[in-house]
Amino acid sequence: MSDFQRDFLKAKLAKLPLEPPMPQNTPSLHMEMFDEAEEDEAFRDENFHFEVPSSPVASSSSSSSSSASSASSTSTIRASLFSRPTLPRRKSTAFEPLFWNNYFSSSLYLNSPSNSAIYHAYLTPPNSSGPLFVTHHGAGSSGLSFALVASEIRRVLPSAGILAIDARGHGETKTSDDQDLSLSTLAQDLVLMVNLTRDRSGWDKLPDLVLVGHSLGGAVVAEVAKSYALGNSVLGYAVLDVVEGSAIDALQSMQTYLSTRPSVFTSLSQGIEWHTRSRTIRNTMSARVSVPALLVDAGGGRWRWRTDLGQTQPFWEGWFVGLSKKFLEARGGKLLVLAGTDRLDRELMIGQMQGKYQLLVLPEVGHFLHEDAPEKTANALVEFYKRNDRSALVLPPKVSDMYK
Amino acid sequence: MSDLDYAISQLRSCKPIPEPAVRELCHKARELLIEESNVQIVDAPVTICGDIHGQFHDLMELFRVGGDVPETNYLFMGDFVDRGFYSLESFLLLLSLKVRYPDRITLIRGNHESRQITTVYGFYDECLRKYGSANVWRYCCEVFDYLALGALVVGAGSCVGETGDEVEVEVVGQYGEIVTRLKRTEQQQQSIGGPPGSGATGSARGSKGVNNGAVLCVHGGLSPLVDSIDKIRLLDRKQEVPHEGAMCDLLWSDPDEIDGWGLSPRGAGFLFGADIVKHFNHINNLSLIARAHQLVMEGFKEMFDSSIVTVWSAPNYCYRCGNVAAILELGEERSGGSVPWSAADRGAVVRPGPGRRYRVFEAAPQDSRGMPAKKPVADYFL
Repeated sequence: MSDFQRDFLKAKLAKLPLEPPMPQNTPSLHMEMFDEAEEDEAFRDENFHFEVPSSPVASSSSSSSSSASSASSTSTIRASLFSRPTLPRRKSTAFEPLFWNNYFSSSLYLNSPSNSAIYHAYLTPPNSSGPLFVTHHGAGSSGLSFALVASEIRRVLPSAGILAIDARGHGETKTSDDQDLSLSTLAQDLVLMVNLTRDRSGWDKLPDLVLVGHSLGGAVVAEVAKSYALGNSVLGYAVLDVVEGSAIDALQSMQTYLSTRPSVFTSLSQGIEWHTRSRTIRNTMSARVSVPALLVDAGGGRWRWRTDLGQTQPFWEGWFVGLSKKFLEARGGKLLVLAGTDRLDRELMIGQMQGKYQLLVLPEVGHFLHEDAPEKTANALVEFYKRNDRSALVLPPKVSDMYK
Repeated sequence: MSDLDYAISQLRSCKPIPEPAVRELCHKARELLIEESNVQIVDAPVTICGDIHGQFHDLMELFRVGGDVPETNYLFMGDFVDRGFYSLESFLLLLSLKVRYPDRITLIRGNHESRQITTVYGFYDECLRKYGSANVWRYCCEVFDYLALGALVVGAGSCVGETGDEVEVEVVGQYGEIVTRLKRTEQQQQSIGGPPGSGATGSARGSKGVNNGAVLCVHGGLSPLVDSIDKIRLLDRKQEVPHEGAMCDLLWSDPDEIDGWGLSPRGAGFLFGADIVKHFNHINNLSLIARAHQLVMEGFKEMFDSSIVTVWSAPNYCYRCGNVAAILELGEERSGGSVPWSAADRGAVVRPGPGRRYRVFEAAPQDSRGMPAKKPVADYFL
């Protein structure tokens, strides 16, 4: 191991929380070997930009002194346009995986009561009276899709907790039937995972919950909210970038879209790079955390998708049909966050113009808006929570009382 | 023909006017609007309109049904822009009419007359598409900051029409046919319907007695920070719509079947119940609050014993909601024809409203509006 790598790892380790153990099947640390001399030369070359993404760990703590060694090791090194017409000569560290423990305090494996499933979720518990944001990712994604949002939420609202679940057939959740991705099953899983987390954490009752679902996850949280299965604990729910009408319209072209994706990658870094370059995820930092969970080692230096999305087609319509109605009718505060333009269907358009929910459209983000704009998404979620927080709700006195 | 008349004729045929002309128009409009009070006083008769949202051809339909400017005196309660495909032409036409006939048209501000909202819901993109730069959008936004926050209609008659009948509420279809008539003496409790075939079941109930209280017009509704109209007059309105506070609430709040004040699901403004409205009307000597802001499938909706009405003037909103639209005509006080509201009625909590004629209309025919192509579908949605 080179001195440089040693420095890099030391700096990383120093920032890790002491407690949480690494999950058993963490993908192996994937470091490309590179020539130290070349790296030094690159550092001396004034034509190189050092774009230092703010480390989520550094930004969540008060320290602004992200040490030179760690900053440079995570930096994107780009040749400036004129001096270096070709790609850098060596492999950069720009697409190296990042790990969950930078963003969550623990990784939970929860046995279902029937022992038919081991659910997996990432948890940062809330402080005393803080809310718990429960996130459900979209199809083909994982709990780590919310990693950056999680640390941003904590930064804005330090009392908040985040429970980011891996759905059935995704991430590290293992069930006896990983093929059953029907909406009702996913909704039951989510409710069960929240309750199992409560038991595991020894909470007397559930904290105030804000359900957050992206894409398919949005359909799941709307289903859970409508069923009232988590009762009065649910203060509100936020649905990220999914609208029934446009989702159904898009389903026809979905298989075509899926067929354009590579089926295997030669490394996790390559997977991260693909997600970034194809602009599927427009935030490299987030892709480095979230993409490794989407891929599994197929042996022979090949990484394939964890979830075969093509196989889930029989469930697609069931996920989205009736979503707008559920979203509008369920109890609790309602927030819809969309990427780029508003693609409301008729029902949501009427609902919006009758003032039934809050709509937020984020500019310059893609479908994975919470990964592309974690800060904006977190701010919106925290503001949404604060507005719907019953304990803090102070309404002005009634006029009739004022004149008594 | 003056430049202004030329601009009006261009805009009436849904053609944009050149950038320098927009600049000139906006400049003149600002000079005019800066003189207006936060709550503009308007004399009846007046025709009150709700949201337009860039549906130019439906605005033409509105003028066909309600009469043209300057023959008819109009009051538009904001939300001229966004969502529809002709926000620019719609707003500039209304603005040029305002400059041409300042005493025959009143424009007040809606929550969409804001920089932040228009960048998200279409007006900004439309300006950029039609002019290649954001200058026109910027001129328009500067005008938005000068729009009045509300209007007070005075001198509205207690009965509809010129006949001797004491008709309080009349609903008229788009071809002038009378759909429903409610006489003031009747103390009805039945709901009244919209025009045949429209599926409308707008609810309006008659109220007893007569009154000459004023009608407050505002885009959204009331604010917990505003207990009198004078408080609205004190606000500094020449700014972007803030995220909270009285000015925000006036443009964002909604009436609702609750007691007192409540949280608005919109994320801005408040919900307010019947008690709030009745109390506000009582202490401000109002007979009615007219507001817009909420889509009503039937075009209009009276609530809380006719103490507040929502008027919605964008038919088939966003070209797909399937709703009808309405405008509200308040007539003039007839000399000797009405009984002034008397001191003896002062004990009553609910003051009876003015005579109200609702003209309900549908969207302009599809072929007359040359709709741009549908938005492309998203490529990924799992």
